[in-house]
Amino acid sequence: METLLNVGHGFGIALLPINLLYCFIGVFVGTLVGVLPGIGPISAMSLLLPITLSGTPESGIIMMAGIYYGSMYGGSTTSILVNIPGEAASVVTCIDGHQMAKQGRAGPALGISALGSFIAGTFALIALMLVAPSLASVAIAFGPAEYFSLMVLGLVVLTFLTQGSMAKALLMACIGIVLGLIGLDSITAQPRLTFGRLELIDGIGLVPVVMGLFGIAEVLINTEQLIKRDVINAKITQLLPNKADWKASAGPIGRGTILGFFLGILPGGGSVISSFASYALEKRLSKTPERFGNGAIEGVAGPEAANNAAAGGAFIPLMTLGIPPNVVMALLLGAFVVHGVQPGPLMITQNPGLFWGIVASMYIGNVMLLVLNLPLIGMWVQLLKLPYNILFPLIILFTIIGVYCSSNNVFDVYVMIAFGVIGYFMRKIGYEPAPLVLAFVLGPMLENNLRKSLILSQGDLWTFVERPISAVCLAIAVVLLVGPLLPSFRKKRELVALEEGA
Amino acid sequence: MFRRNRLMIAFAAVGMLMSASAGAQEYPTKPITLIVPWPAGGSTDISMRAIAESASKILGQPVTIDNKAGGSGTVGPATMVAAGKPDGYTIAQIPITVFRLPLMQEVSWDPAKDFSYIVHLTGYTFGVTTSAESQFKTWKDVVDFAKANPGKVTYATPGAGTSLHIGMEQIATLAGIKLTQVPFKGGAETNAAVLGQHTMLQADSTGWRPLVDAGKLRLLMVWTSARSPNFPNVPTLKELGYPMVYDSPFGIAGPKGMDPKIVAKLHDAFKKALDDPAVIATLAKFDMVPNYKNTEDYKKFVTEVTNSELKVIETLGLAKKKN
Amino acid sequence: MTDQTNVKLRLNNSELWGGLIGLALGAFVVWSGLKLRLGTINDPGSGFVLFYTGLLMCVFAVTIIVAAATEGGPTFGSRWKDARWTKPLLVIASLIAFSFALNPLGFLLSTIPLMLLLLRLIDPVRWSLAIPIALLAPLGVWWVLKRLLLIQLPSGILEIG
Repeated sequence: METLLNVGHGFGIALLPINLLYCFIGVFVGTLVGVLPGIGPISAMSLLLPITLSGTPESGIIMMAGIYYGSMYGGSTTSILVNIPGEAASVVTCIDGHQMAKQGRAGPALGISALGSFIAGTFALIALMLVAPSLASVAIAFGPAEYFSLMVLGLVVLTFLTQGSMAKALLMACIGIVLGLIGLDSITAQPRLTFGRLELIDGIGLVPVVMGLFGIAEVLINTEQLIKRDVINAKITQLLPNKADWKASAGPIGRGTILGFFLGILPGGGSVISSFASYALEKRLSKTPERFGNGAIEGVAGPEAANNAAAGGAFIPLMTLGIPPNVVMALLLGAFVVHGVQPGPLMITQNPGLFWGIVASMYIGNVMLLVLNLPLIGMWVQLLKLPYNILFPLIILFTIIGVYCSSNNVFDVYVMIAFGVIGYFMRKIGYEPAPLVLAFVLGPMLENNLRKSLILSQGDLWTFVERPISAVCLAIAVVLLVGPLLPSFRKKRELVALEEGA
Repeated sequence: MFRRNRLMIAFAAVGMLMSASAGAQEYPTKPITLIVPWPAGGSTDISMRAIAESASKILGQPVTIDNKAGGSGTVGPATMVAAGKPDGYTIAQIPITVFRLPLMQEVSWDPAKDFSYIVHLTGYTFGVTTSAESQFKTWKDVVDFAKANPGKVTYATPGAGTSLHIGMEQIATLAGIKLTQVPFKGGAETNAAVLGQHTMLQADSTGWRPLVDAGKLRLLMVWTSARSPNFPNVPTLKELGYPMVYDSPFGIAGPKGMDPKIVAKLHDAFKKALDDPAVIATLAKFDMVPNYKNTEDYKKFVTEVTNSELKVIETLGLAKKKN
Repeated sequence: MTDQTNVKLRLNNSELWGGLIGLALGAFVVWSGLKLRLGTINDPGSGFVLFYTGLLMCVFAVTIIVAAATEGGPTFGSRWKDARWTKPLLVIASLIAFSFALNPLGFLLSTIPLMLLLLRLIDPVRWSLAIPIALLAPLGVWWVLKRLLLIQLPSGILEIG
């Protein structure tokens, strides 16, 4: 009952005209930066932070939050249309989303990702309202040992992302980890694998690697074949998901939402892992796993829902403990503090209006996003009608700009071109880029947490088995790894392999 | 080749003259990046955000914070030195580890040569906390437990070689106990570690304050010279019998070779920011006191700190092996 | 080049070469890990994870090599069969040329020729369309970034852009 009163109070604040306006500006800017690959919510939020200072804390934070979840909506657009993931979390959307676009089903892919995001976002908000304080303990239940095991599980999950050989996927994952470790050691500040290049001290950026392996390599692969490309121009029959699409997507959206919400609470790579994990889960549960990788709508619906639910879950550690789980949340924390509010265990009781007002505004923002995004789908789909020989050079131009803007560094453009060429040859001889990218993101966290847990346990490896959460993660990982060796699993993998050979 | 070069040099010289004169007058013409080498959400991050916010109003361009955590707060400055141009658009917060780590191991930077020091800003209040559910009620409980179980007491620090690490090791030596350090990247991470009881203690700057206020963490001691007005019941190191004070003062710097005019402009802006009531209020929240030093004094201070640090590190046996 | 699409221990077995490259990379990572020091199990050093990841890479690479030698793998020829391999090669060459030009010439002077080149290379777009696109696309983006988002693209030594 008290919660309902609070929610009502929150809507009272969120529906003030000035707050509605700030909310709209936020989600609009968020959609824009989400669609442009490379320009993420972080730069937009840092630039707009000073503008919010003139208003009340509520309106400022409502706008900043709008940019954040707005960018989550837009992130999948380029993945589906041109195979360029705007951020790590949408790498997995490329796999089936772009295949759907090639089959002329870009509309349903974009539609299900917008509607799936809406459903997941709404659910995450309701959960945030009802259970935020009691879930704070989840965020701190994960210590170094638990994180290490979760990362191991994440890496094992990625073998389900590939259609070909397991050994190749694991080799790619190892290369991803090594690439992720380039730069100064996070514990001793020693330079590693930098080959004396000053630019490598900071490590390789995620954006150039992803844009190279996906965007540039995709263009290179497509230039060599005449037949495949015509499919892009195939008749676009429908703009929104039909009944069959909904039937196939309902389960994945539900499961993705729950998975994403809980993984999003964890500080660290929650949203990335949740999207990959959701994809793997759907492929495992599917009666026809061979469709995955060839335009299965479940492979778009699940991960997109997961990644938006994670965005909601991420507010829990910030609002209840003052611990920001990612850089964007940290920017929000900065915005709170500049406005004189200190997020922490006391915030909800000391500033109930602020907390409930923000949560209510996010609900309204989600509705705005849906209204804003659905008509855009028609426009995006038109983009695919551009002849390929004009589209490809434009894609290359936009990857160059996206990479440069993400770091203001010419070196990153070189890195992207190099990874584009590597990605082309990799794909030609049957190595897929998705495991590499996931391992690249998880690798540094894996290393850091392994070293910390070994220091904590004084070299005792049993620590990973003795701690219950860690043990569960490792047990699932083992089942997933050993599973394919059992006959019933084997059949499924072979089916998939056959499909690839055909 | 030669002829073309000469033409190029002429072009470049004209261009540089134009941009140099224009640069000093108009600077800043675009957003300035301030590298904070700690994860977002800690005491340094939040106080630097407040200072940057105030400085950007004075400079007329946004000063955006870039969190590059790791290596006990040295990854950020080292990256800036390696890649940043001394054009005044990339500057960094310089924690004391930038001077201390080179004394302990091989590093890629030289604190005496690689930086253009701009202005000295403030220092920290450090403290040791434990979870409210922990068996340790006072620091004496920790010492007693550690005597019975050498090496079993774990403490989270924002990195190896930070003042927290060095300070805890000095305390352990004086108390005759053995503690195990677990290096994290900064306050937000050590908060989570001690809250979840993954480490028994946390040694960090005042990022723990909201959690202590809320009764989730218990503050065992502070490292300031006198008791903190916000926690009048918590003893200082001196009262516990350890004759030391740690505050790790810090400032900001850019890569070497910055135009003195740009340094002066940044110095003035940040000096003014320290007088901004909003900044003072934010600093007060974290028990931080402004500690202003101008560019010249800051440079002298760097030499002094390096010398005094060397002594401490040598007594603890952590100094770099000389070849 | 043979007509066979699946060969075992032959030099044109693409699987075999993929495995060998992986093995070489793995060996290099192991060596780098050793050089960076492994540390002890109580306090792992900078090279600890690199060393073990390198070992795993070697294991997986050997698995791939063994599979390639016993089960065989497709030849390079079959991988590129029916492919217009000159096209990606030309695009790669233009991108490499572009990366050399970007720093000295700046964004506008290097992307406009790149766009023109790509528009004519992949499948020639007629000049009357190619020239306006090559000019307008980079100019438009440059204007939006510089004026609206305050992002400075590289201007090169001639300071154009």
